[in-house]
Amino acid sequence: MSLEGKLALVTGSGRGIGRAIALKLASQGADIVVDFFRHRESAQQTAKDIQALGVKAEVVRANVGDAAKIDELFDMIGNKFGHLDILINNAASGVGRPLADIDVKAWEWTMDINARALLLCAQRAAKLMKGRGGKIVSMSSLGSRFVLPNYTVVGVSKAALEALTRYLAIELAPQGICVNAVAASAVETEALKFYLNEGLVKDTRQATPAGRMVVPEDVANVVAFLCSEEAFMIRGQTIIIDGGTSVGLLALAGNREQ
Amino acid sequence: MNVEEQIKDILARITRVDKTIITRESTFKEIKADSLDVVQALVAVEETFGIEIPDEDAQKFQNFGDFVSYVESRVPQKEKV
Repeated sequence: MSLEGKLALVTGSGRGIGRAIALKLASQGADIVVDFFRHRESAQQTAKDIQALGVKAEVVRANVGDAAKIDELFDMIGNKFGHLDILINNAASGVGRPLADIDVKAWEWTMDINARALLLCAQRAAKLMKGRGGKIVSMSSLGSRFVLPNYTVVGVSKAALEALTRYLAIELAPQGICVNAVAASAVETEALKFYLNEGLVKDTRQATPAGRMVVPEDVANVVAFLCSEEAFMIRGQTIIIDGGTSVGLLALAGNREQ
Repeated sequence: MNVEEQIKDILARITRVDKTIITRESTFKEIKADSLDVVQALVAVEETFGIEIPDEDAQKFQNFGDFVSYVESRVPQKEKV
C-alpha cells in the first residue's frame, strides 16, 4: 500500500486520532498538510515527526468551522501544490451538555465544525482531485447511532456527516473519488476527558469485547486501508471500529445479570 | 478604544453580560463564560488584534486581567514587526 507522491490533507492533525492518521499516511509515503486550530506546538511536532519519515509536511492553521478559513486553506494547497489526493476530515469539536441546555450557539458551533466542514472541504478538495481520483475519509462516532450521555449535538452532527458521506460518495463517484467514514467508540486521546469521566472510561474498557479500548492507531490503520486502491469498491460506508462493543450489547447485558 | 475595552466588548457580546460588571479580577465563571464562550472569545480577539493565542497559553488565564495583559504584551510586539 504505497502512497508515494500523493498529497494528503488531515484536518485537526496536531493531536490524537488526526496525528496518528497523518503519521500512518506519511509512513506510506504521502506528503501531509497538517491543519490545526488551537494547538500550534502539537501541529509543529506532528510535522517534525512526519518529516522524519522522509516526506514533506506543511503546517496550516484553519478553523474548519469558518467557511472563509476553509477557502484560505484550499487556496494555499492549490497555490502551493496544485492538487490533492486525500482529504481526511478529522477536525471535530463539540459541546457536552444535556439536551435541554443546547442553545443555538452550541448547535451551530458543533454542526459547522463536525458536519458542514465536510461539505465545504469536499467541494474544494474535489476540484483539486480532478483527473487524479482521490479519497475522502471522515471521522464519525458511535454517537451518530447510539445515545451517549451529554452527546446529543455531537451525535447529531456525526449522523449528518455520515449521511453526507453517502451523498458525496455517489455524486463524486464519476470523478473516481472514493468517499467513506469511520466511526470509533471512545478512543483513548486527550479529547476523551472532555466527554467521559474516569469511571466511564473504565466502564468502556470493560464493555469492549476486544479487551481494550480503541487507540488512535486502530483508527489510522482502517483509514489508511480506505485510502488504498484495495478499498476502491467501498463507497459511502461508515466502518465501525469499536472492538465489538456495538454488536456485543446484548451479550453484555446477559453478563451483568449473571 | 484601548485593548481592555475592546476585549471587554467582545466578551460581553459573546456571553451577553453587561460589560460594566467585567473587571480585571473577574474570572470567566463570574462573567458566565463557558468553555465554548471562551474559545469563541479567543478567536474573536485573535482576529481583532491579528495575533494567535494557543490553548496552552489561554489555559493559564486565571481572570480577565490575565487575558488582557497577555493580549497587551503581544499586540505591541506585532506592531513593531
